[in-house]
Amino acid sequence: MSIILAIESSCDETSASVIIQGQVKSNMIAGQSVHEAYGGVVPELASREHQKNIVPVVDQALSKAGITKKDLDAVAFTRGPGLLGALLVGTSFAKGLALGLNIPLIEVNHMQAHILAHFIEAPFPKSPFICLTVSGGHTQLVLVKSHLEMEVIGQTTDDAVGEAFDKTAKLLGLPYPGGPLIDKYAREGDPHAFSFPKVKAPGELNFSFSGIKTAILYFLRDEVKENPNFIKERLPDICASVQHTLINILLEQLVKAAEAYKIDQIGIAGGVSANSSLRSRLHTLGQEKGWDTFIPEFQFCTDNAAMIAITAHFMYQKKLFAPANVSPLPRMKI
Amino acid sequence: MTHHLELTRKSESELPEISKQLLSFAKDTKVWIFNGQLGVGKTTLIKALAQQIGVLENMSSPSFSIINEYTTANNATVYHLDLYRLKNLQEAIDVGIEDYLFSGLYCFIEWPEIIEDILPEKHMALELKIQDFTERTIKASRYE
Repeated sequence: MSIILAIESSCDETSASVIIQGQVKSNMIAGQSVHEAYGGVVPELASREHQKNIVPVVDQALSKAGITKKDLDAVAFTRGPGLLGALLVGTSFAKGLALGLNIPLIEVNHMQAHILAHFIEAPFPKSPFICLTVSGGHTQLVLVKSHLEMEVIGQTTDDAVGEAFDKTAKLLGLPYPGGPLIDKYAREGDPHAFSFPKVKAPGELNFSFSGIKTAILYFLRDEVKENPNFIKERLPDICASVQHTLINILLEQLVKAAEAYKIDQIGIAGGVSANSSLRSRLHTLGQEKGWDTFIPEFQFCTDNAAMIAITAHFMYQKKLFAPANVSPLPRMKI
Repeated sequence: MTHHLELTRKSESELPEISKQLLSFAKDTKVWIFNGQLGVGKTTLIKALAQQIGVLENMSSPSFSIINEYTTANNATVYHLDLYRLKNLQEAIDVGIEDYLFSGLYCFIEWPEIIEDILPEKHMALELKIQDFTERTIKASRYE
């Protein structure tokens, strides 16, 4: 039996999860569950907030799993990538707890964990598979050879796709984070109403989104000059067209990667995999190409500790433990 | 005292040359702030500056991560900050902004409005404006 507590504090969310023999028993995220139990608003972002949240979140994760800290066999934490101040909170807490309980410490790579979220609940992709990880901070194509053996085969050379969504929303006057709002308005719009030039990134399987942002800026400026109410009148069509363009870029590179590596097991992960059009278009594309496609449940796509826990579970089996003097790596790579 | 320099960028291909001019104008000023609307090319200019200083890695936007740290070929550290997601000075202080500003290392900062009150006296301020499809004006001011 292995019982592991995992902690995630790489960016905005403070989260803790307990995994027993590979089964996730709890996945608590501050700002949601803790907010209800402890009252008051839980502002995001600052490491000070992580400090406030970490003890209650861990307490809840343990009690929801029906265990106490004495039952733990290991403590896992996100070592990177992320914000240094935020990572320090989870790292220090995990180190202190592991030392106090005299149990092993496991350092987890956040990007690897996003991908291994596919192994929290069946059906599981068969290795080797390709995972497209899309979030506010990352856009990566990863070849997963086995649970702990991964290779980045493509990535963004400038903005992440989630950022392209959020910044387009900003240009349209929508509040931050605007990605989910673009998804919402796009449902009523025509994805072919407007077209935007695609910018090719250097490298066969890389992505570039910065040029599209500028193209959208020019497009809106010219249209608004002609008709000051343009954005208001055509919002669904603009959102649908922008979303269509961004997803085209993602899927084109995904197809190229699948063909280049001759792989038919395809997953997506990360917060942007909540986008309804990306989900449905991946599904259709998968049927067309004969792929098996996989998307983890939404709560395991955004930043969460359950994905850290499942990664730690695989690392525990291989006894991949961290030294007691481990420190965060804000730009940790796969 | 303040010194000014105004440059025109006709296309992105001129960025290496423009970066050289800006770095030489900046002398040893390490904290640089970049103002200009979304899409004007702040991140693109910062990438060119960092490459000129010797950053070899692929640089991506820090809008989500807020702070990206790079190492140059000579082992110097370069920080690329984007305060776009932060709401006020307190949030910037909470992410440790002062540690970066007063580190003596290169700091290229996008969306700096919220920290203008705590900037070191000695800094470079750049203002980017769109003129035409690919043409931009870059106004640089060196404060000392």
